[in-house]
Amino acid sequence: MSPQNLNTNCPPTWCPGCWNFQILAGFKKFLETQDAKNCAMVTGIGCAAKIFDYVNLNGLNSLHGRVLPVCLGLKVGNPKLNVFGFSGDGDAYAEGMEHLIHAARYNSNIKYLVHNNQVFALTVGQPTPTTETGFSDKTTPLGVKLPPINPLKIMLAAGCGFVARVFADVKQVDAVLKEAMSHKGFCFIEVIQPCLIFHPDTGYKEKTYNIQESGHDKTNFTEAMRLAEQFDYSGIKSDTRIPLGIFYQKEKPVFEEQLKR
Amino acid sequence: MRWNVLFGGPAGTGPNVLTNILGQALVEHGNHVFYSRDYQSLIRGGHNFNVLTFSNEPVWSNDSEYDVIVALDDNTEKLHRKNLKKSGIILKGEHTNMYFAGRLFKLFCLDFKLLEAQLKKLEKRFDENLREAKKGYDEEKKSVCQVKGQKPDHYFINGNQGISRGAIKSGIGVYYAYPMTPATPILNELAAEQVKNNFSVIELENEIAVVMAGIGSSATGKKVMIGTSGGGYDLMTEGISMAGITELPIVAYLSQRPGPATGVATYTAQGDLRLALNSSHGEFPRIVLAAGDPKEAEELTNQCFYFSQKFKVPAIILGDKHLAESFYTIHEKVEVIPVPSTVRLGRFNSYEKDSQGCATENPEIIKKNIEARLKKTKEIEKESKKFQKYKVYGDKNAKKVIIGWGSTKGAVLDAIKEMKNVKFLQILYMEPFPIEIKKELDKKKVILVENNSTAQLAGLIAEKTGIFVENKILRYDGRPFLADELKKEIEKELK
Ligand SMILES: Cc1ncc(C[n+]2csc(CCOP(=O)(O)OP(=O)(O)O)c2C)c(N)n1
Repeated sequence: MSPQNLNTNCPPTWCPGCWNFQILAGFKKFLETQDAKNCAMVTGIGCAAKIFDYVNLNGLNSLHGRVLPVCLGLKVGNPKLNVFGFSGDGDAYAEGMEHLIHAARYNSNIKYLVHNNQVFALTVGQPTPTTETGFSDKTTPLGVKLPPINPLKIMLAAGCGFVARVFADVKQVDAVLKEAMSHKGFCFIEVIQPCLIFHPDTGYKEKTYNIQESGHDKTNFTEAMRLAEQFDYSGIKSDTRIPLGIFYQKEKPVFEEQLKR
Repeated sequence: MRWNVLFGGPAGTGPNVLTNILGQALVEHGNHVFYSRDYQSLIRGGHNFNVLTFSNEPVWSNDSEYDVIVALDDNTEKLHRKNLKKSGIILKGEHTNMYFAGRLFKLFCLDFKLLEAQLKKLEKRFDENLREAKKGYDEEKKSVCQVKGQKPDHYFINGNQGISRGAIKSGIGVYYAYPMTPATPILNELAAEQVKNNFSVIELENEIAVVMAGIGSSATGKKVMIGTSGGGYDLMTEGISMAGITELPIVAYLSQRPGPATGVATYTAQGDLRLALNSSHGEFPRIVLAAGDPKEAEELTNQCFYFSQKFKVPAIILGDKHLAESFYTIHEKVEVIPVPSTVRLGRFNSYEKDSQGCATENPEIIKKNIEARLKKTKEIEKESKKFQKYKVYGDKNAKKVIIGWGSTKGAVLDAIKEMKNVKFLQILYMEPFPIEIKKELDKKKVILVENNSTAQLAGLIAEKTGIFVENKILRYDGRPFLADELKKEIEKELK
């Protein structure tokens, strides 16, 4: 394995205690088991995307919403490269939604993490497509009227071959990336990452449970859909349950392997 | 003598095949041929027509009056009869396009064997086509002209094919696109060549994905081209800006059609010069080259790849529908230069970045980065001196200058062919601009010819040289200039 120093000189500018630190640590832990020289990362724009500055890996800090086409371009250019994408929920589900649906369709061998804090954090707290109804900030004094979308259901419906959700926790991030590495194809991994400032954590972690531990068969699509429905992003209530783990997994032909043939 | 033949009919009746067959045979027989296509944005029906102009001397454009009209339906005669010359011939009736091919070959004294050879190339329905063609050939009793009969080294090619060849000869690694007329045929051209030449042709969900995936592949060292028309290019502009700051090479083919918005999908214009020059936020160096014929399209595409790789900047090859889809007879050798790939994967950033590739807000680094990019503008300028940034045709000492760019070249060359004391100055490099044209324009009568309504080149010339061009011949009805009409307009301006 490569002894490449994964650190940069850039001090993190995330808020103290931000769950993004856990995702960063989890990714670095995972990278220790990889040949980092053969890995590349692509990020969008937002707090989540700042992870680019804190990992000394090749790649591109791309534009807002444009993580996935850049990842695809890297895989087309060099299919052997291990490519990791990082977005916030605004990046992935608002500005970049069209790319997300098509990424599931193309099934390029990309590992994609969406840090979902249910808010545009870097632009100081406006609602995203996964923000709950009734949420209010300065731009929405009358409260959000729309219901949140359910990205896991969208990804399942779009035919994504690897649909997972974890909490922003070192171990969980590391573990899910290892699982994703052994899957050939596009991996969608949502990371629940409550924002300390703009979408305070009302006890997300306590509401989570692992679906693999409770015996979920990840080849069962119907069951995957049912589990995806269990958490609808509408905030935390007494009976909220947030399923984590690999909801669905199925290998399909990989985009870059079918070129020039 | 220039012969103008119009082929008209509803879409789907094969006017293109017919025009191609005659054009190919004439070229292979030593003639010079130019043909343009006028078609609507529909699949079946409507009225499409092609005008084929040929001569034993070079031809680059069509005229407004026809010697022969081939009417594949009644509508064609109705619409175009007024432009038939007094001595003109109309071929009509309920017949297949191949029947008319037979008659035309006879009319132009082309051996039937030549027609048979063209039909063989078509492969499909050979026997049936041959029968029809023979019938037409035998039924035609007239013959109007004696065409040349030697084997030339000419070839027949359209602008899109020129661009495709330029890309392939530059070692293209990936072509990304989303279909949009008039750039779409490049997708076909390149797709057919990808396996043989070891590159990929990839259609993505939209033009934003196209440019961003292009940047991703460019970061791995692949030579990338993307292609579209104005509307698609608008969507690409954030990516062009990204290429600007990440300093990743990318070649964008911008094939113009009338705008704004959807404009007129299948017609021609030169309305996007300013778009190519000014699109995308922020300041960064770029290359913008404009081709006037398929040979230039091939060479300038190659030069776009060259500059883009050498200086790690976005390069735009500007064309338009008239260039893209018209067929030209090329008789000069195309010159292409090798394009070494220059990029190695590193840390690229859409933010201003420090030496580790991390985002920075440090004022000194920001300034340094900007100056490093600006410095490339000067280096590009210097390198560009090795290339022909503009061309002068006609009487070099002439006191009267026609100035233009892109596909208007054809009509201008044909219009001024017999004029004395007139030269044509064609600008190929829009950026870096050949400021030295100043000496060609100073104290001369200058007439601008452009396919747009605001004379964008005149504005650019004023900006770069301080010279204000007063005389303008502008056409902005979606149609290309026609040589005979343009000639009259130039003569009027010269009076
Ligand atoms: C094209 C474009 N539009 C808007 C912005 C401004 N912008 C920067 S970050 C951001 C929101 C990021 O939200 P999210 O993706 O959820 O990430 P977070 O900051 O919450 O981690 C926006 C809208 C931008 N950079 N680019």
